[in-house]
Amino acid sequence: MQREHVPPETESAPPGPPDFADLYTEHSRPIFYLCLRLLADPDKAEDATHDVFLRAYRGLRTFRGESSWRTWLYRIAINHCRNLQQSWQERHIFAGQDDFTIENAPSAHTESPLRVLETKELGKRIQTTLNRLPPEYRLILLLVADEELSYEEVGELTGQSGDAVRGKLHRARKAFAIEFPKTA
Amino acid sequence: MKRQTRIESQHKEEHHAAAHEELSKEAVRDFATPEEMLRHDALHTPVPPKLAERLRDSIGSVPAAPRQSWWRKLLGLDP
Repeated sequence: MQREHVPPETESAPPGPPDFADLYTEHSRPIFYLCLRLLADPDKAEDATHDVFLRAYRGLRTFRGESSWRTWLYRIAINHCRNLQQSWQERHIFAGQDDFTIENAPSAHTESPLRVLETKELGKRIQTTLNRLPPEYRLILLLVADEELSYEEVGELTGQSGDAVRGKLHRARKAFAIEFPKTA
Repeated sequence: MKRQTRIESQHKEEHHAAAHEELSKEAVRDFATPEEMLRHDALHTPVPPKLAERLRDSIGSVPAAPRQSWWRKLLGLDP
């Protein structure tokens, strides 16, 4: 898998134990982005990211190194966002992912379904599209988009095998490609 | 004189149209997969700058963990 290098935001890293400052510098962007797209609200995402890193700080000594730091932080973030969504009762109701009938929907293989004419509104369109997807597809797409995670790690975070992730990813891509053009 | 102005104007319009076309070309972007689009979006979504400061303040208010005393643990005084 190719890895995209994100320049560290050394200036904004909070002081503290050196390891934790490094942790924040390296992982705050993907954690914030995940929270943002799961909660669909920048303010809530900021609060959630703050809480995730505070929990991580408190639990730093309990980290056993059985997973990568990124995976560990993602796990905290996913659980935290789920709890928030449940408590706010803001969760979108999907009877099940099978209700999202990709097969009967218009073909996802239209010409360039992911063509964007104006990237200014891209974030808004992505959010609208993700909101329309079953939560499991949304989470899989967001995690797979992080090139630091393997399919197996995405599987660990979503409670399934790497092969299951591959299968669902195919359907999630198709669902996204169907919904995205509708947001134009 | 008038003719020259018209030519200049025409050149200006052509230049403007070409620039607009160039801009449109730049604005059009195809993503091979949704993940590629999400990666692009993530790279252009900055972390709120105040977050680090907030976190620093919160961490500052977290009480330091008490030092474990082996003899207190041995005597069952610490859980």
